[in-house]
Amino acid sequence: MKEIIAQLTEAFGPSGYETEVTDMIKGMVEGYADEVRTDVLGNLIVVKNGSPEGKKVMFAAHTDEIGVVVTHIDDKGFLRFANIGGVGVATLVGNRVRFANGTIGVIYQEKGDWKELTLDKLYIDIGAESKDEALTKVRVGEFGIFHREFADLGNRLIAKSMDDRIGCAVLIEALKKIDKPTNTLYFVFTTQEEVGLRGARTAAFGLDPDLGIALDVTLTGDMPEARRMDVSLGKGAAIKVKDSSLIAHPKVKELLVQLCETNGIPYQMEVLEFGGTDAGAIHLTKAGVPSGTISIPTRYVHSPSEMVDIRDVQACIDLVVAVSNQDLTGVF
Amino acid sequence: MDIKQVFRTLSEASGVSGCEAELAQHIQEACPWADELRTDKLGNLIMLKKGQSPGPRPKVMLAAHMDEIGLIVTKIEEDGFLRFSTIGGFDQRVLLAQEVVVHGKQKLTGVIGAKPPHIQTQGEQRKAVKMEDLFIDIGLDSAEQAGQVVQVGDLVTIKRGVSDLQGSFMAGKAFDDRAGVAAILECFKALSTITHTADVYGVATVQEEVGLRGAVTSTYGITPDIGIAIDVGFGDSAGLPDTGTIKLSQGPGIGIGPHVHPKLLERMVETAQEWNISYSLDPTPNPGGTDAYAIQVARAGAATILLSIPLRYMHTPVETLDYQDIQRTGRLMALFIAGLDHEFVEGLTCF
Repeated sequence: MKEIIAQLTEAFGPSGYETEVTDMIKGMVEGYADEVRTDVLGNLIVVKNGSPEGKKVMFAAHTDEIGVVVTHIDDKGFLRFANIGGVGVATLVGNRVRFANGTIGVIYQEKGDWKELTLDKLYIDIGAESKDEALTKVRVGEFGIFHREFADLGNRLIAKSMDDRIGCAVLIEALKKIDKPTNTLYFVFTTQEEVGLRGARTAAFGLDPDLGIALDVTLTGDMPEARRMDVSLGKGAAIKVKDSSLIAHPKVKELLVQLCETNGIPYQMEVLEFGGTDAGAIHLTKAGVPSGTISIPTRYVHSPSEMVDIRDVQACIDLVVAVSNQDLTGVF
Repeated sequence: MDIKQVFRTLSEASGVSGCEAELAQHIQEACPWADELRTDKLGNLIMLKKGQSPGPRPKVMLAAHMDEIGLIVTKIEEDGFLRFSTIGGFDQRVLLAQEVVVHGKQKLTGVIGAKPPHIQTQGEQRKAVKMEDLFIDIGLDSAEQAGQVVQVGDLVTIKRGVSDLQGSFMAGKAFDDRAGVAAILECFKALSTITHTADVYGVATVQEEVGLRGAVTSTYGITPDIGIAIDVGFGDSAGLPDTGTIKLSQGPGIGIGPHVHPKLLERMVETAQEWNISYSLDPTPNPGGTDAYAIQVARAGAATILLSIPLRYMHTPVETLDYQDIQRTGRLMALFIAGLDHEFVEGLTCF
């Protein structure tokens, strides 16, 4: 599984340009699914048929990652840029950017006070000596990602874009363990989550599921002097109660808790005060879809080094498998 | 059915956004005038009163939200105190020294504690206490004991009974927007003695306080021709300017703005004048804040209007209103609906 996580997190996929990731996942699920298709927004939909009396369950993990877009190239070949998704200025200076064609650049700042640092005081240096040379490598409108390799620390792993390739890895590994599920499963590898849950919105409209569950990262509060948050690495799958996009449907929340209890899966309850996931879009689809989120506890979210614990990842996989095989008749 | 009494019950019941089932149950029991009652997948309660004309009949949706703002447990401290965050926009300055109900394994009474004034520093006395420094005391003094009955994610409501002030004024919690729900019940009651063409869907919506979520899905399911959102508006009170507020005891504010269809506005004002129901005009240029917006832009769109019941001290435990304004709002809606015919509803599509 670590190999899969390494491949997924090192792939290139800023919001809107996720094809490298979805193609990679297509290869990984080959032979395990009954149907694999993409929709107009690029969502990869992997179907596993259940029994006729089973429910339609949509699982969503997003393939896109935060990044940058080039807005201007100056005469000396330096690039100015805007953010794609929630990029923290403090994580940028000295970090490297990679563009689709492999061009690497370093982000640095104009002179000035650290405390007053804003995105427009930063630039990307791709080593070009002139505008003309820069134009041979990138154009205005080019999307880039943070360039950072995967690292295996034992139980803990760090990489860029754990948000949300780790959710993708959970779904891929769960799919491999599911043979004949009770429910018909739609594993949706969504696009453009970081810019407003866009892929999940259209995918859910197309599928019209009975139950929606997002797999995504959540924050933790177990670091030195951290903001108060009662989620820790290594304490199991996090079952979401609420975030800015969703109040988990009480029945979905209870189902997830009950499945953890009966299957001995470690879990923790999660109240996230900021941020949202694909479930926020799914539950407002058409006349409403009962929805919830299984979260992978993650430190340093939206930095180039996001950290997860492999035991939590395993717990999330077990929980997805449990939902897949659960008889939901009369519940949803 | 004494709807004022029902309104009291609704105010004192608990239903934070996302957990409105108890409210739906109370409302259902208080609505003998509906032909059909159902809840949808997100928990919206939909009460249908059919029109008295051969179908297909125009559909009017009345929407008032039944959820209330509340608190949610985020951490149980070693010494048994509970840390919390908000659901919806609570005025955190008023949380100090409130009695609360923690909805744990059972309902637990707690208090939001405060540092005694004697030992506050001078700086502290002048500032509101930040939410992250507040805590709930349920009388258990270890995380182990508290953990037996409470877990992270449990909801918390303010414990507050309704008070009758002078005249027909009342004060209490969650009048926003159970006042609107009571107005729908008043409307249904009035409609039981009037002939009307349209099918009327009274919807007690969920999750308005966190982003109009229940209205989004219930409108999709109903597909109304006309949507009337009933919410509370800023009532006049000491220290507030006349502009941007509506006067208590003078009936509902009839909204004017991009979320209000001009023909509905015209008809609503005519109805109020014809039947001598007092009202205020309530310019609300920013359409984002109420269910009216969610109804307006669902599917291919609906003609919408917003009625605002004047309310003082919004999002505090002492929201104050004049019950007669709820009755006026219900009566105005009933007479408006009674005046609707196919021709008028079809005319709405010719903007």
